[in-house]
Amino acid sequence: MTSLPMLPAILMDMAGSVVIIVLSFLSLRYAWLLIRKQPENFLWGFLFYFCLTLVCFSVSRAVGHLLKQILLILGNKEQWQVLAPFSGGFNTLLMVSLAAVSVYYHKGIEGYHAIQRKASSLKNANCKLEISANKLQQLNADLEKMVEIRTQKLSASEKKFRNFFTNSKDMVYFCDSSNRLVNMNSAGLEMLGYPMEEDQKLTLHNIFCNEEDLENYLETIVAVGFVEDLEVEFLRADRTVIYVLLSATAVFDKNRVFTGCEGIAKDLTRVRTMMEQLASSEKMASVGQMAAGVAHEINTPLGVILGYSQLMMDDFTPESEEGQSLVVIERQAKACRKIVADLLKFSRQAESARENILVNEVLTDVLAVTEHSLNMDHINVHRDFSKDEPTIIGDTEKLRQVFVNFINNAHHAMEEQGGGDLFISSHYEKESNRVVTTIRDTGHGIPEDVVAKIFDPFFTTKSVGKGTGLGLSVSYGIIQEHGGIIEVESPARGKDGKMQGTAFHVKLPAISVEQVSVNENKSDTK
Amino acid sequence: MKNTRKMFPFLLLLTFVVCPGNAWAVQSHAAPEGLYVHQLAHIFYAASMCYLFWGVRQTAFKSRGWRFLQIFCVFMVMWNVVAFTGHSLVHYIHHSDFIREAGYLSTHLQGPLTGVKFWYYFTQLDHLFSIPSFFFLYLAMKNLYRSSCEDVKI
Repeated sequence: MTSLPMLPAILMDMAGSVVIIVLSFLSLRYAWLLIRKQPENFLWGFLFYFCLTLVCFSVSRAVGHLLKQILLILGNKEQWQVLAPFSGGFNTLLMVSLAAVSVYYHKGIEGYHAIQRKASSLKNANCKLEISANKLQQLNADLEKMVEIRTQKLSASEKKFRNFFTNSKDMVYFCDSSNRLVNMNSAGLEMLGYPMEEDQKLTLHNIFCNEEDLENYLETIVAVGFVEDLEVEFLRADRTVIYVLLSATAVFDKNRVFTGCEGIAKDLTRVRTMMEQLASSEKMASVGQMAAGVAHEINTPLGVILGYSQLMMDDFTPESEEGQSLVVIERQAKACRKIVADLLKFSRQAESARENILVNEVLTDVLAVTEHSLNMDHINVHRDFSKDEPTIIGDTEKLRQVFVNFINNAHHAMEEQGGGDLFISSHYEKESNRVVTTIRDTGHGIPEDVVAKIFDPFFTTKSVGKGTGLGLSVSYGIIQEHGGIIEVESPARGKDGKMQGTAFHVKLPAISVEQVSVNENKSDTK
Repeated sequence: MKNTRKMFPFLLLLTFVVCPGNAWAVQSHAAPEGLYVHQLAHIFYAASMCYLFWGVRQTAFKSRGWRFLQIFCVFMVMWNVVAFTGHSLVHYIHHSDFIREAGYLSTHLQGPLTGVKFWYYFTQLDHLFSIPSFFFLYLAMKNLYRSSCEDVKI
């Protein structure tokens, strides 16, 4: 080989120049697409400017080379010699620019990384902030929900206790340290007979009947912190007394200073009355049994005494001393037999008839006999009989004896004060299906300490010889036998509201419609 | 001290005003200066490509696009070396070394063919480096773009 053809170099130079231009533009296109996609990315910005400079360089160089080859091919060497410095100068300039751009890469990347780190840190902080915000929001939502639930529970609880306070049938009260009743439920006010007003200005001193009970209550509650099942008497607005079972708890503040108390009181008046009645009934029952036993034992020897005394009376003339003595023996023996008979009536050992009776008729019969003597002693009789009174089943004679006893007692009570008024009334009490007969006088009344004993056998306030003390006992026994009850009210409240005298309420069970029809059939059959 | 520093420019100006001489403000440039500047630009360009290669390596970008960019840098450095030597060898080749029988395209590098002539001839084929270089740049940009598209999709 003696020479090398330059044609391949020329052709490669021309073709290569074109290829370089194409490739550089294609690179620039992708760089452009990259910065379009992520304009904030420094790397794509760098690559774009790098490619742009490369495009300029490749165009400058390739165009220069192509021009050179074309001009030389065409034989215009002089023209190329003119242009060559410019082409070389541009190429130099662009190479320096490319170098300059490249040099900035590292620092740019450092800056980019610094920004990235900051951005990442900021992003992390934002994420944490977002998580915290979410947690806070969740907590807030939970808190709101919790508050709502608590409020509902509180409301339900408040409602529950408010209902308990309002609807309780017992007295519920709250009082402050000066014993002023700051709150009392309607049952309490009703129990005490005060109107339902918010501001009653009541104190414990107003409602405690006995000062000693109040002192005991206050001492205990402050010392122990509570009182339990304390039986005390409360004074009602109308000055009547009720018996209550009181339980209360003291309220202390943070410093253990007594700030008041809250308590519940149950009205035991009715229970107490019932207990007393029960005790009385038991007592009367046991007394009745004893009386019946005694009566039976006495009755036989009494009959023998009476029989023998009557036999002996045949042997002696009535004018003789023996005859006179036998008359006395017979009279006293008969008196004893009457007492025994009364005792048997009281103990319900005597036989009774069972017939339909109208109480008004019995009362009318009794008044027909007794009214005259009542009037003689300036006692006015006032009748108030209901017209549509139902019948009862009982023994007319025994009931007559009962009413006579009551009227006689009233007579004696008013006789001492020179007269008065006797009110006799009867009415039908539909609720209890009883016929209620009331005999009320305007006498001196029965002393409180005596009331509990009036039905005891042989108890009397009359002087010796004026009464056996069996009248009310017998009446009690008869009414018990009829399934009824006797209530005593002394002093008794009159129609005018005046408290005076004594009232006996005899409540006898009325005959039902079925019983009436059965009895009518029986009488028809007879 | 600070006042002295502030005063220095004024003192210098005063010296120039008080002691005037020839300014020689405009420097004349001899003919080879353009070539030297061009060659220095090649060196600067090659150095910047090395620096870019190192920078990409340092920044630990491992995707295919960045690897192609590094290959671009390598080819560019090689092209710069070839181009630099090509420009340098011009001094060792004379017009008489070329023969032309029928126009420019029939130009031959005549013998005897020395190592310098062969190297010169090789440097005239510098596109053997520049084209792959630009091709790898194209691949780099294309891959980076596709990678960014996938990242966005993810």
